[in-house]
Amino acid sequence: MISPLLWLLLAGPCALLLIGLLPAARANAIPMVMAARAQLAAIATFMSALGMAVHTAVAGAVRTPVLPGVGLWFDSLTAVMFLLVSFVGAVVVNYSRNYLAGDADHGRFTKWLAFTLAAVLILIISGNLVQFAIAWVATSVGLNQLLLFYRDRPAAILAARKKFIASRIGDLCLVGAIVLLGRTFGGLDYATLFAGAGALAATPGVIHVVAALLVIAALLKSAQFPLHGWLIEVMETPTPVSALLHAGIINAGGFLLLRFSAIVGLSAPSMDMLALFGGFTALFGSVVMLTQSSIKVALAWSTIAQMGFMLLQCGLGAWSAALLHIVAHSLYKAHAFLSSGSVVDLARASWSPSPGGQPHPARMGIAVGLVLAVTLLVSTVFGAGIAERPGVFALGAIMLLGLTHLIAQAIDERPNGFVMLRTLGLTMAVAAAWFGLQWLAARLFVGALPADAAARGPLTLAIVVLVVGGFAAVTILQSTLARASGTPRWQALHVHVSNGFYVNTIANRLVLRLWPTGR
Amino acid sequence: MLDLAPAEAAAEAIAKPLRDAAALDTAIAAACHRIAPLWPLKHFVAVNPFLGFSGQSFATTCATMRRVARVDMLMPRTFYRDALANGLISDAALAKALAATPQAAASVDALKTAAARDPAPRPPSAVVATVAEVLDRLASGDRLASRTAFMVDEISKFCAGYFDEGQASWKQPGRNLPPYAAWRAVTVHDRNPETMGITGFRAAIAGLPADPVDAIAAVVDKLGIPDHAVVDYLHRALFDIGGWAAYVRYLVWDNGLYGRADDRLVQLLAIRMAWGYALWRERADADFRAAWSAAMTAAAALPQVDLPADDPDLCVDLALQDAYEIAYQARLLFRLAGPAGSAEPFLWPRRSTGRKPVQAAFCIDVRSEVYRRAFEVACPAAETIGFAGFFGYPIEYVPIGRDTGGAQCPVLLTPAFTVSEAVTGATPEEETEILGLRLLRRRAGKAWKSFKLSAVSSFTYVEAAGLLFAAKLLGDSIGLTRPVNDPNTDGLDAMVIPRVGPQLEARIVAGRPTGFTLHQALTQAEAVLRGMSLTSDFARLVLLVGHGSTTANNPHASGLDCGACGGHTGEANARVAAGILNDPEVRLGLRGKGIEIPTDCWFLGCLHDTTTDEVTIFDQDTVPGEAQAALRELRGWLARASALARAERAPLLGLGGIANVDDEVLARSRDWAQVRPEWGLAGNAAFIAAPRSFTRSVDLGGRAFLHSYDWQADSGFGVLTLIMTAPLVVASWINLQYYGSTVNNRAFGSGNKVLHNVVGTLGVLEGNAGDLKVGLPWQSVHDGQRFIHEPLRLNAFIAAPLEAMNAVIAGHQGIRELIENRWLNLFAIGDDGVVAHRYDRDGEWLAVG
Repeated sequence: MISPLLWLLLAGPCALLLIGLLPAARANAIPMVMAARAQLAAIATFMSALGMAVHTAVAGAVRTPVLPGVGLWFDSLTAVMFLLVSFVGAVVVNYSRNYLAGDADHGRFTKWLAFTLAAVLILIISGNLVQFAIAWVATSVGLNQLLLFYRDRPAAILAARKKFIASRIGDLCLVGAIVLLGRTFGGLDYATLFAGAGALAATPGVIHVVAALLVIAALLKSAQFPLHGWLIEVMETPTPVSALLHAGIINAGGFLLLRFSAIVGLSAPSMDMLALFGGFTALFGSVVMLTQSSIKVALAWSTIAQMGFMLLQCGLGAWSAALLHIVAHSLYKAHAFLSSGSVVDLARASWSPSPGGQPHPARMGIAVGLVLAVTLLVSTVFGAGIAERPGVFALGAIMLLGLTHLIAQAIDERPNGFVMLRTLGLTMAVAAAWFGLQWLAARLFVGALPADAAARGPLTLAIVVLVVGGFAAVTILQSTLARASGTPRWQALHVHVSNGFYVNTIANRLVLRLWPTGR
Repeated sequence: MLDLAPAEAAAEAIAKPLRDAAALDTAIAAACHRIAPLWPLKHFVAVNPFLGFSGQSFATTCATMRRVARVDMLMPRTFYRDALANGLISDAALAKALAATPQAAASVDALKTAAARDPAPRPPSAVVATVAEVLDRLASGDRLASRTAFMVDEISKFCAGYFDEGQASWKQPGRNLPPYAAWRAVTVHDRNPETMGITGFRAAIAGLPADPVDAIAAVVDKLGIPDHAVVDYLHRALFDIGGWAAYVRYLVWDNGLYGRADDRLVQLLAIRMAWGYALWRERADADFRAAWSAAMTAAAALPQVDLPADDPDLCVDLALQDAYEIAYQARLLFRLAGPAGSAEPFLWPRRSTGRKPVQAAFCIDVRSEVYRRAFEVACPAAETIGFAGFFGYPIEYVPIGRDTGGAQCPVLLTPAFTVSEAVTGATPEEETEILGLRLLRRRAGKAWKSFKLSAVSSFTYVEAAGLLFAAKLLGDSIGLTRPVNDPNTDGLDAMVIPRVGPQLEARIVAGRPTGFTLHQALTQAEAVLRGMSLTSDFARLVLLVGHGSTTANNPHASGLDCGACGGHTGEANARVAAGILNDPEVRLGLRGKGIEIPTDCWFLGCLHDTTTDEVTIFDQDTVPGEAQAALRELRGWLARASALARAERAPLLGLGGIANVDDEVLARSRDWAQVRPEWGLAGNAAFIAAPRSFTRSVDLGGRAFLHSYDWQADSGFGVLTLIMTAPLVVASWINLQYYGSTVNNRAFGSGNKVLHNVVGTLGVLEGNAGDLKVGLPWQSVHDGQRFIHEPLRLNAFIAAPLEAMNAVIAGHQGIRELIENRWLNLFAIGDDGVVAHRYDRDGEWLAVG
């Protein structure tokens, strides 16, 4: 449906943008007025997102008439992302109002927060690639200002430089993809692009290039290995920035792929690359997370891992699962950051009543083997075997491995009826929630995202086996940690892992060398 | 021990130096002694950051800190300039200050001129420079490439992993080894320093002796540190990692209270020294070696003692600080001698005729002053009393389901009693059920947490449970829900929570004797009443009001609780004290000791919430029927007092002129984004030990610790000794913590709260990494426009004979050092309630006039 009324949806983001464009000195003179205005604009945006989401659910996708360079596109994918970011944005803006109170630059903070939020929101509702690219770069510019909010902190400068380098490479990839797409399909508005992509009989070479460029842009935006270092170092800026970054901005990479899934999905090599990098980063990040001793850094590693997992889902063609993951992770992570000061309360309450035991490694190994066998069997019986639906198989297996860990935790130390019953109940609730949500997501986004794809070839199969095998190995590894961690080999492993295999130190050194600071 | 075979051969390469081992031990001990402890966030209590310097004067310490650690402990010059401009410092005050520091300027006018200009930039030469510092200088000030920063990050990372109290789920190995050995074991594998370009790091560390003291000796020798600069060098080295050093100092302190030896601070020093050695060894180039030998030559020429007089700018700042304090004292004295005070001579004995309806004892905490005044307005016939908020009961309070608990007493003491928490009126079966349920919930919760945080299941967790956080975000944002459950009541049913309280009867719980025998109860009860000078004229109701705070999402929450209860709320102590004093057998025993508590007198354990100014009365169901009417009346007074106290605090909280202050204050206490839920003890400046009648007519603005004391009832001055050696010292600790966090938040405070990153669940980092932060956040002393805390050393006023105070000062080194070295100012109040003398030195007093 084409409707000029959709333009009204720009009101909220534009109000935020206006707040974001006020000069910093003026903003600092009226910090509480700024905070109140931003709060009003953010809540209004969320309300309009809510209204528009309902409209989309009832009446289907809407877009504005194509104008040169501007246009809006609102389908179920847009609805979910717009709702998510405006909600998290409203929460973060509301939080910052008291949190930054008294800071000499409170007004400037609100200004850039509003600017960045507006940029992400405009990115999401874009209806053509020019607008998308401008919003993409604007997001990066706004974020850079927020990361350098305290300009005299050396660690902030270093992280921002790394981020700057990664972002500019990402920007180049995006612009390259846009130019190629424009040449190929003769237009940059989504309607033209999607229609063109749908009409392709075979994948031409240029589409492989475009897909690869989009995938690289997404990997860079989502802090994937090996350029993940900046994300673990941006705690040099107030907590709400971390919340907005980890729950809103970091998703832009995933959103890029979802938005252009019809094009990216055409290129098997790009998808394989995505799955490989995503899967590796997911495991890498989540293992490193285990060793971190400060809350915010641990949360940052967790984000790297979760983004990796989301990109793995994209790479396996499980697009709706990836979108569900973005939403669920954002809400979880926004809360985790904003409430990170409560970790002391948690620690005060989290005394352990019995000496904590760990599952025996052999038993855990058998359990993991059984889970994989059952998954293989059941998925094949139901027509979602490893070859037919590699995404469903892999993600189902990983879900079950997680549940295995949950049950093992409960039964191993001192088997007790209550704890076991409660855990089993919990496990079933988790499984039901998981399957229910996956099913719902697949239904909800049927028009906006491609359905789960079949295996693209032996390489895809190999990657699935590698990824599932990796997750299984890590599940077993974790159950052995407590037992074996005293030996030199484990000690060495801990040292390497806790340093993230030194990748970030190498990056720091390169940046320091290539981009030295004057006096 | 781990196998470090390749290292052993190399260790021989660095022969043990011939330096006098005893001298080195002394130097190490002296350097370690300079570090003040840092309590963990679970029970964060105030500490005097200059604790290790009590033995030298305030002025000298300013000079030492400038020279060795390069930090200032006075305000920037502009602060005093503004104070002069605003008329806060009078000429008379300047003249008095100048008399004490004549080097500062030739005249008052010259001092004013000096105040008007900025201090000259100090040359960085006449100090001990560490290896890292010399390297940084050579790096031409490129802060991003700073070796010091990298070294601090690396040591901090190790310490965080080693001391982690529950953040990482894959714990750092080697935590069972002593720190230095554990660090060496980690370093064998750690490629990070070499990746950063510090070549040969692992070999350098492996080549050092395995014993920490030997290692320090080897490094001192290798670096060629001149003998008399060793203490300063070691101090400077420890100061680089001052936060972790302070935390280790706390562990040592805690062990020391129980008489256990602990050399972990020396071990940490060895780690820091080894780092310096590795940095030194890496750079063999001529530039560095020349710079290093120049640094060591400079160190050899250092003065042996710090004389503030050597630094003209320091003298000026010292004189200005003195003048600032003298001016404040003048204003305070004027206020204390206010019209009401002088118009009406105090009757002695001060207790008026007729029985009071209520007596209420509050903690000496400065926040109580506001509430006491409000309560006296609400009920003018009431008497209020000030006493340390643990009410004389040093207990370990063991929550339901645990075997051990927190020490609820000042950190100078160890708990003498164990009290377990229990459900009042519960049958043994019910108790077992509640306990069992809590334990099981805990275990299920633990499994869920592990599901959330483990490597593989965290992805499933997010997809299954992540959406629920939408509701949580909303609820927390509007203050409907708390980000996490209150740790004190977590795992208990809402029906049970109000029934939970301390169990007083003597019995064995988890193999340990808990509660009080009659003899113990009686001894403590007598000590408490005498300590409060409350041995006669008991009112119908006597309130023992502990205090605690209510904040959400605040890592430093326990710092707002009662310091006298070791960073816990005073609830348990107040309830224990009240419960014992209501015991008929105890009262019978007290009668035998000459303290007659009327049978119709009832003690109530209460809690003052310092954030919301609400007062909760506990165990109301045990109050006898005939006291119920009085209790109803009391509730009315408390409600009115709470509203008055909130109204008084509102302007400082930015709620001045708002109609619904009560709602706003409550909302603030639940706001997860609130960085200034209350002002804590900010503003504290005075300590007054005197009868309340001396201060009752005076508005002290929530800035005074008030301890009730009647010297005429104190035979032998036992109570005076106690007050001067315990509450006064604790008040000084608090005062100096606020002082340090105000004058130099970067060095003695914990920096910006919005950047705080809780590490190991025990402390905070500011940002990604760096050293552990000590002291108070900037937000706790500054409202964004101005400092809410004024940097003033504590002014103690005690109503007691001069000779009695002199005797205490002479007999107790701790308080003597604080007073003689000007870490606090002592004044004497005469029997007429007038401040007549101030302590000068060596037992001499000067008349105030």
